[in-house]
Amino acid sequence: MHQTDFNYQRKDLPAGFSKFGFAFLIIGLILSVAAFFIDQSRAAFNYLVIYMMIVSIALGSLFLIALEYVAGADWSTPFRRIPEFFAGLLPLLFILVIPLLFMNHDLFHWAHEEAVKQDKILEGKAPYLNLSFFVIRTIAFIAIWVLFYFVLTRNSKKQDSTKDQTLTTKNIRYSAAFIPLFAITITFTAVDWLMSLEPHWFSTIFGVYYFSGTVIAALAAVTLIVVVLKEKGYFNPWITNDHLYSFGALLFAFVNFWAYIAFSQFMLIWYADLPEETFWYLTRWEGSWAIFSLLLIVIHFIVPYAMLLSQPAKMDPKRLKFISVWLLFAHLFDLFWLIMPNMQPLKKGYVFSWIDLVFPILGIGIVLTIFNFIAKKENLIPVGDPKLKKGINFHL
Amino acid sequence: MNIDYSQEAPAIAGRLSLSEIEELVARPLDTKPDRKYFIALSISGTLLLIGAVCLAFSFYYGIGLWGNNQPVGWAVPIVNFVFWVGIGHAGTLISAILFLLRQKWRTGIARFAEAMTIFAVMCAGIFPIIHTGRPWLAGYLLPYPNQHSLWVNFTSPLLWDVFAVSTYFTVSLVFWYIGLIPDFATLRDRTTSKIKKTIYSIFSLGWRHSSRHWQHYEKAYMLLAGFATPLVLSVHTIVSFDFAVSILPGWHTTIFPPYFVAGAIFSGFAMVVTVLVFVRKIFNLENIITMDHLEKMNKVILATGMMVGYAYGMEFFIAWYSGVQAEQFVFINRAFGPYAWAYWIMVSCNVIFPQLFWFRKFRRSIPVMMVIVILVNVGMWFERFVITITSLHRDFLPSSWAYYKPTIFDMGILLGSFGLFFTLVILFTKSLPVVSISEVKAVAEGAQPTHHGGHHE
Amino acid sequence: MNKKLFGIAAIFKSPDDIIQAAKKTAEAGYKKFDTHSPYPVHGMERAMKLKPSKLGFITLVFGLTGAGLALLLMYWTMSVDYPMIIGGKPFFALPAFIPVTFEVTVLLATLSTVIGMITFFFRFPENDHPLHDTEYMKKVSRDHFGLVIEASDKNFDESKVRDFLKSLSPISIEEIYFSEKETFPVLEPKFVTFLIAVALVTSGVTYFALNKLLYMQPFTWMMEQQKLNPQQKSSLFADGFGMRTPVQGTVARGFLPYPYMGQTNPTEVLQNPYLPTKENLKLGEQKYLTFCSPCHGNFGDGDSRLRGQFPNPPSLHSTRAREFSDGMIYHIITNGQNIMPSYASQITREERWAIVNYIRVLQRAKNAKSSDLQVVNKETGNNASN
Repeated sequence: MHQTDFNYQRKDLPAGFSKFGFAFLIIGLILSVAAFFIDQSRAAFNYLVIYMMIVSIALGSLFLIALEYVAGADWSTPFRRIPEFFAGLLPLLFILVIPLLFMNHDLFHWAHEEAVKQDKILEGKAPYLNLSFFVIRTIAFIAIWVLFYFVLTRNSKKQDSTKDQTLTTKNIRYSAAFIPLFAITITFTAVDWLMSLEPHWFSTIFGVYYFSGTVIAALAAVTLIVVVLKEKGYFNPWITNDHLYSFGALLFAFVNFWAYIAFSQFMLIWYADLPEETFWYLTRWEGSWAIFSLLLIVIHFIVPYAMLLSQPAKMDPKRLKFISVWLLFAHLFDLFWLIMPNMQPLKKGYVFSWIDLVFPILGIGIVLTIFNFIAKKENLIPVGDPKLKKGINFHL
Repeated sequence: MNIDYSQEAPAIAGRLSLSEIEELVARPLDTKPDRKYFIALSISGTLLLIGAVCLAFSFYYGIGLWGNNQPVGWAVPIVNFVFWVGIGHAGTLISAILFLLRQKWRTGIARFAEAMTIFAVMCAGIFPIIHTGRPWLAGYLLPYPNQHSLWVNFTSPLLWDVFAVSTYFTVSLVFWYIGLIPDFATLRDRTTSKIKKTIYSIFSLGWRHSSRHWQHYEKAYMLLAGFATPLVLSVHTIVSFDFAVSILPGWHTTIFPPYFVAGAIFSGFAMVVTVLVFVRKIFNLENIITMDHLEKMNKVILATGMMVGYAYGMEFFIAWYSGVQAEQFVFINRAFGPYAWAYWIMVSCNVIFPQLFWFRKFRRSIPVMMVIVILVNVGMWFERFVITITSLHRDFLPSSWAYYKPTIFDMGILLGSFGLFFTLVILFTKSLPVVSISEVKAVAEGAQPTHHGGHHE
Repeated sequence: MNKKLFGIAAIFKSPDDIIQAAKKTAEAGYKKFDTHSPYPVHGMERAMKLKPSKLGFITLVFGLTGAGLALLLMYWTMSVDYPMIIGGKPFFALPAFIPVTFEVTVLLATLSTVIGMITFFFRFPENDHPLHDTEYMKKVSRDHFGLVIEASDKNFDESKVRDFLKSLSPISIEEIYFSEKETFPVLEPKFVTFLIAVALVTSGVTYFALNKLLYMQPFTWMMEQQKLNPQQKSSLFADGFGMRTPVQGTVARGFLPYPYMGQTNPTEVLQNPYLPTKENLKLGEQKYLTFCSPCHGNFGDGDSRLRGQFPNPPSLHSTRAREFSDGMIYHIITNGQNIMPSYASQITREERWAIVNYIRVLQRAKNAKSSDLQVVNKETGNNASN
């Protein structure tokens, strides 16, 4: 079955997507609004976890699209629509970020002017860490992402009907311009929303750390959808083990990359043993947080590493489906580990609350609903892309 | 510029047949070296001799001949070490990481880049050993049960270096040799000289191009690439640990590991391009090492150059953001202190000039490329110079501040290391196939079955 | 020389042909056949029905072994054999051990993979294989593709195989023969001489390097340092002495002079600064046994071990000795008494006071009162009435 012709038939996504998405969204919304009334501070931190998770998936997806263009990869072209749909979450960030901006007092110690006045170091950081600049940065970054999202996907969609090759050239150029901007914006997003929760702490690698998790989250989300749709017969018969292997290998590579970055950061701080840096890790070693810290190594590195190590494992759809769900959870866990210990009542150790379980439901609801909403209007495969045929006939 | 994205660009140009490829690559081995070859060899040999003389003086009179002195105890020798280890990273990157990423264009340049890795690591290895002052006692660096009842200090990053660099050298050498085995067999079968045949037979181990062997061979190559990839990252990471586990401002910063790795790839690619531009011209390999390959390497140089620039920026930002006075001082001192000249050489060579590679015209122009990659090499040497010297020369005690200057012996040894490197490169071009014959044959047009997509169950 | 048939070989022009040929050969039931190509041809494993390579297992096993061995070595040297505190790190500093563990893992895994492949899977070196030096090998080494059906296959039948290969429409067919293997005696005089020469040169060079070379300049310059040893002359000072007396009015650390030398009873100013703690008494016991017991006996009874070579001192348990103040005993050790010499140069101040404390212990042990027993009982909680 040498593939020379490719006839794409539009087919709606499985009904489960919209049903589950809507149910999760409604339940999550009700419960999380309730959570805000019961414990605003805890709800704020939990909401931040989910917000960052959505940023990871959406922004990471946009990065994957840009990477495909810049690297000239063709194996991923047939699946490019899936990260495009995920990146569709980016415009929504304008709305999602609003509650966080209003709750800055709950989240950020540096947002308390009276506290900054008593603290020499925070006073020194005030030119960067102040509310107005913070809001400007946040909005500007989202605007940049949304801009590139619209440009890249518009060209991609246009190609479906025109089959114009120059659109690919254009997108390669936009992607090349996007990647440096992406590096800067994701770094300062990580500094603003994650690092500045503990405003005294600093680490130069932190942006790279968040980036590594972001790519894992986006890649896992895309892999999950690809495998689910493959099982429902959407990509048959042309999807091969070689396609799946590429997803598995990339996931494996980024699991290792994350571990490398995380270890580098920990190792240097542990070894130099400077109190202005170590306290951040010591907070995460306080009481029951120690269990979280150890679990993070197991969940985010050891388990996925062992599961993806062998060659057949990287192309086994069942295992890929499991491991992508697992890695999405791992990134969520990572964000939880980064964010929650900064909450004042949890500084001495983790205390369970039902609120922590509510927000992931909301997150799944938002992601699935938006994904379904955008996917409904588009072709599932970029039928006009010149690289599509190469991508479909891809072999190792 | 209209590119047809639906067609795959051929990995080698000129529609060469399999035997033409072989002839092209094997020609330098069959012909006698000409005058130009001996001129080049004598230039690099002279450099090597200068280094040898400076080293002999250093051994006899001691390392007091060098500029190293308090507070700059780590100076140009360490700069040279990191510089050469960095150069050595491109080879494994091309042969392992690009292999895993299935980039076919690597085949034309992999062999040469791997050879450069081995030679660069040899050059790098010189410096830590002579820096000990008593290189003949280097055996103490190995953990063996000895009469002192003492073990090496496994918590010291300097010892990690011993393990990392020696492992890296060994694995690179093995990787290189594994790639050479089929080529030795090919050379063995085509040569008419009896002596050459004996030598090739010994090194080919009796390889006979059997598919049953190719199967394991490809698996082994894959496994080796899988190990070499994290290894290459670990080596420069550990080199960065030499600096970063300390508490010295300017050295202790968490971005050092990935930043050093990016810098290593950056400088390594620059060096590979520098040498390949000559090699493809001299040995008429323009069809195997094509302009497309050079352009791709220049893209990698652009990308890694920007990563390095990102790290420079991040260091500055976090130094300010940290609120630590010593940290802030070191960075202001770097950019505006007595070594500002070195800092700005570094920034302009590593970040500003490579930006020209945004333009396709410059990426594909040999003269522009040559200028930029040489500037990158200079810039990366100065990067290590800036990191090492500026953090040390003004330490916490202003009374001990000093201005470090390398002596003529420091510079002589650096020249000598270049001499060693280029001497080995020149000898290599005439004694071994500079391009992997079997790998290039495998990506030639029509070399693979047309319908191999048809084997699916 | 006997020639035996190794197999029949066919040469093909294109990769498509060889894939087809390999497929048909495997389907025809031949097991001992092989294809040869100048580079790996995609899809050949499937065509030849080869099992996936098992090489990965070697890598896995040796990689894990490397990791284990490295960690074990570091644990043993750094935490057990010679534990040292370095940079305030724990003896088993796991994060700091990870780099070396990783490197050793990679080294062992890669080397074992390569050596395992070459020796175990390929059985190399094998430069006497029948296929070497044939026209067939020259062609497949360059730009042709070949297939060999070996004579050792159990379905091998010369004419049938020849017909079968012809049906695959190759460019040419070649029969490959091999001669009976020659034997090479290992103990050939030439080889033995070579071995002996290598051994002699190696040992000679090693001997020279370790015993002669390292004692030549500049290797010895650490031993020949420009400094003055005790009693050596110096041209720097007018009096020519290398050793100098301390500057007037200064005292070297640890050499504070004892001001009561020769006095009989300075005890009112000497107070014992040390409490008889367990550590202090241990030190006292050790020093007493070293310096005092030869004359005073192990328990202070004055039973000398010197067998009359030196007059026995009086017992330390006499009433007079017991009534000495601590300062007096200290003074006697420092100053000497009667024929006992001064021990000031052998025993430090702290040790002298520790000996005093230990002598007090000996004295009390030899002259215990019943009230002491009561104290012990009370402390140990025993019932004294039993």
